[in-house]
Amino acid sequence: MGRLAKAVLIVELIERLRHEGGWCGETHVQKAVYILQNLMGVPLQFDFILYKHGPFSFDLRDELTALRADGLLKLETRGLYGARIAATKQSTYIRKFYPRTLSRHNKAIDFTSGQIGKKGVVELERLATALYVTRQSGHQASIDSRVKTLITLKPHIPKQKAQEAVSAVDYMIQLAHDGS
Amino acid sequence: MPKNIHEVRDPIHVFVRLDSDERKVLDSRPLQRLRHIHQLAMSYLVYPGATHKRFEHSLGVMELAGRVFDVVTKPENFSEKIRNLLEPISLPDQLAYWRRVLRMAALCHDVGHLPFSHSTERLLPDAWNHERLTREFICSEEMEEIWCSTTLPLRTEDVVKLAVGPKKAHDLNFTDWEAILSEIIVGNAFGVDRMDYLLRDSHHAGVAYGKFDHYRLIDTLRILPKPGPQEEEGSQEPVLGVEEGGIQSAEALMLARYFMFSQVYLHPVRRSYDIHLEDFLKEWLPGASFSTDPKDHLKVTDNEITVGLREAAAAQEARGHLHARRIVRRQHFKRLYERNPDDVQVNPESGDAIFGPLCNKFGKEYFRRDRYYQQGGAPDFPVLLRDDRLASSLSVSAVLKTLPILSVDFIFADRSIYYEADTWLKDNREQIIRPLEEEGVD
Repeated sequence: MGRLAKAVLIVELIERLRHEGGWCGETHVQKAVYILQNLMGVPLQFDFILYKHGPFSFDLRDELTALRADGLLKLETRGLYGARIAATKQSTYIRKFYPRTLSRHNKAIDFTSGQIGKKGVVELERLATALYVTRQSGHQASIDSRVKTLITLKPHIPKQKAQEAVSAVDYMIQLAHDGS
Repeated sequence: MPKNIHEVRDPIHVFVRLDSDERKVLDSRPLQRLRHIHQLAMSYLVYPGATHKRFEHSLGVMELAGRVFDVVTKPENFSEKIRNLLEPISLPDQLAYWRRVLRMAALCHDVGHLPFSHSTERLLPDAWNHERLTREFICSEEMEEIWCSTTLPLRTEDVVKLAVGPKKAHDLNFTDWEAILSEIIVGNAFGVDRMDYLLRDSHHAGVAYGKFDHYRLIDTLRILPKPGPQEEEGSQEPVLGVEEGGIQSAEALMLARYFMFSQVYLHPVRRSYDIHLEDFLKEWLPGASFSTDPKDHLKVTDNEITVGLREAAAAQEARGHLHARRIVRRQHFKRLYERNPDDVQVNPESGDAIFGPLCNKFGKEYFRRDRYYQQGGAPDFPVLLRDDRLASSLSVSAVLKTLPILSVDFIFADRSIYYEADTWLKDNREQIIRPLEEEGVD
């Protein structure tokens, strides 16, 4: 997929996350793109690592900056807290050149934004890390073993929250599978 | 009694002090090789004073890393929440160990650089970069011996993690503590690598753009939790931030970066020379690429390449003659096109849209393209307000929120075709930069 084709998918995802009422800071976008790519199989080809609090892609961070330089994304601030990312008018014009790409991945974007649009950053960190662990351990691994791995990797996550995150990931995988 | 603390004079930090263990690293072959690697590649062809080397930069990064560590780990400078998130911060033995690792890692962070630094990095095989070579060196037998023989033996992997950082060592798992320490060296906002190169490059290039109040900035750095939006519980991610009083020096650092990139690092003539150097090396190097074997790497510095360039420029039959001549005789390609806001509005890939048709019309040997986007995210870091609340830097600083993003897209042309190509481009530009509607998918 070409750079601009990937760009319109990211921009579209951001717009839908915002539409769902999410804060849409960089952490939200990171976790949403991780899910779009690794759960929904959209070939964005970002390289994610398990960083301080969940999957993180330095390539994606650079690309979000590049998209701001291209005038397709902008930052908005509210109160004292971090910036939210928003699509620009310019991005609407560019998206018109990629109707097929958008149409092909529309369902995946819709599912991702619908599932996580309203979630807060801490919950998203747990959820995306649980997906990371599930992908590493294989889908056959038991909930208990994945919870254990999750807590080993991220000791600040309470056991109950880790269990909820792993179960939520299984549910999302099932939903994504049923919808595909 | 033998001296345990050694001083090195430095134009930026006046004295850099190091102990005998650090001196062993400084005297090692990988570090000494950096005496012959220009910090700014061939920028000296544009800024004659910019002949400084990676060696003194490495010393500077070590010096600043130690200073930052001492500030952020002072008990009065971190909160209970941070103490709970980062266990080693309140354990004196652990602190002593990690301070040592941090300074060693800072000293070694650039040992993998190729001749002429970043400008030749594309001549490494796929999946290789200077950070990976740095890692090879840190893990080499010569360096392993040093890590084992220091007064407080160091784990090699710890030095690797802090020197290279998670972005380039993604196969390694970083604890929050290790991630913060690597941020002190290579971090996006307050990495001391950046602080030192801005100050040092500015000094040697003879420009004032890179100067900022690094004393004040370092003094106000803190490890802080990342603030979250009002309606949510904040992330527990600890990151480097500043006290409110340091926000202006942080702004000055970000502005220094912006100006140094736009005036020095991305200077079109320097970028043109970088391309000619790469073209030369593709013909001159056996196999058109650099070896990834640390033993070979130790043998090659800017000196050997410079001699090769001068010889090739003088002998018509020599490999790489044409490109060497362009550098030595200052016949570099000239900037024909540069990305600009008007064109980006029509097509963010305007350079791409122009470069192809130009090559088709006149021949690809007459043109070169150079694309660069600023790396890293927005300058969004926590600020500890005077009333103990946390805020995002982007909320408290209008300067940071509106800081321009660096991005260049140059097309350079051979002087022999320049005017013809320029005329053609003026006549056809509007028509060729429009993006094409996609024909297929993916």
